[in-house]
Amino acid sequence: MRDKLRKWREDNHRNSEQIVDVGEELINEHASKLGDDIWIIYEQVMIAALDCSRDDLAWTCLQELKRQFPGSQRVKRLAGMRLEALEKYEDANKQYDSILQDDPTNTAARKRKISILKAQGKSAEAIRELNEYLEQFVGDQEAWHELSELYINEHDYGKAAFCLEELMMTNPHNHLYCEQYAEVKYTQGGLENLELSRKYFAQALKLNNRNMRALFGLYMSASHIAASPKVNATVKKANVKYATWATNQINRAYQVSYARKKFNNRLKLSENMVVVDVVSKPNTTKWTALSKVMINSKH
Amino acid sequence: MGEVELSCLAYVKMYLHACLFPRCSVNGLLLSSSPAGGAVCVTDCVPLLHTHLPLAPITQLALTQVDVWCAQTQQRIVGYYQANACVSDSSPTPCALKIADKIAEQCNNAVLLMIDGGKMSPDYRVPPIVMYERKDTRWTLKDKHTIMLRQWEETRDIASQLLDSGDHSLLVDFDSHLDDITRDWTNQKLNAKIAELASPANGNV
Repeated sequence: MRDKLRKWREDNHRNSEQIVDVGEELINEHASKLGDDIWIIYEQVMIAALDCSRDDLAWTCLQELKRQFPGSQRVKRLAGMRLEALEKYEDANKQYDSILQDDPTNTAARKRKISILKAQGKSAEAIRELNEYLEQFVGDQEAWHELSELYINEHDYGKAAFCLEELMMTNPHNHLYCEQYAEVKYTQGGLENLELSRKYFAQALKLNNRNMRALFGLYMSASHIAASPKVNATVKKANVKYATWATNQINRAYQVSYARKKFNNRLKLSENMVVVDVVSKPNTTKWTALSKVMINSKH
Repeated sequence: MGEVELSCLAYVKMYLHACLFPRCSVNGLLLSSSPAGGAVCVTDCVPLLHTHLPLAPITQLALTQVDVWCAQTQQRIVGYYQANACVSDSSPTPCALKIADKIAEQCNNAVLLMIDGGKMSPDYRVPPIVMYERKDTRWTLKDKHTIMLRQWEETRDIASQLLDSGDHSLLVDFDSHLDDITRDWTNQKLNAKIAELASPANGNV
């Protein structure tokens, strides 16, 4: 059970119900056997308990931690989180302010304050604070990602794209960032953005050829470009080829997975979207080369 | 405008969708298997997304796929539902309005349904939903008296039962389908479970 908790801690899983189940049993029945591990488990279980509205359990964990580590900033932050969970935002803010007074570089307290703004629906302020935070702590990946989400919810796609660009620069092998960037570009619309989006969907596929969102995204962006009146015949032809290739890959993926699951229903893509000129045969050995062509394409 | 009836199946799936992803905004489409004209009868729903609701590509893809499926199964898309992550604010977001507008282009009596997170406590008495209809070009609150949920008590009990037994994890939305394409976003298994709980054999009429 300890190992499970450790794995969830390391992978940063938010499976709070499970953590509460396992953690509560561990704490109640096997506390003596845990040694020093118990403190980090208290912390993990407390946060999970707050997530599941188990204030009783959270309070117990907090008391134990307070007793063991009086005056600790880390425990103070947990106390603040409990206040947040009870929606006592004023008190929580006071708690975090006191941490920041003692230690102005405490990133955890700053981020909690921003989370409070988000919980209260004050997106504009949350965005402003987060921007200020990132000016100081440029390398904080999760902050950049959070900022991109806030911008997406505000429909400020340009700025969301900027945040994702920062993430892609520092994490060039992460296919999810590429794919999210492509989705933002697609949403922004316009021929140039569609072409960029197609390239980044292709890049995401290159990094992970099983990313279905990227495959569908590639199909849709290529189809839209091909259908646009502003493109010349060569570009149109190339994009039709890409779209058709994507269609075949998608159908193949469904066939394979349905064969595995012995599923009878087949989902067919609407043929209205694809201007089908050439029907190419699926050619999986050359797909990496083709996706490279798409990325480097000048179209 | 006209009356809207919400079936047990549609309500339960929407509710479970919101419960499955309590930290995210979720959305989905409302379907009807009855012919157009007269009262709108929402008989089913398709849960769509729980991440990046305002982004276009997956939403467009999902709309197309659901459209095709509806044509094959004699259903129509008659509405859209959304549950916001922020419990204190259940008003329609710009992306909700956009998608609802698109649906209204195809269906005159389209409805926009927002799930009110604040009312979803364990002992809630009224359906935690707010419905909007299109008057001229704006979405306005629908008169509560024109919204019908048959056997509301039973529906609510079925939803609670499925939540307690952990069966809400059976629900597959379009996002989950894209993560693992073997999962069925039409939710046939869950539909069967709900039908079983709602059947006369269980004491419900």
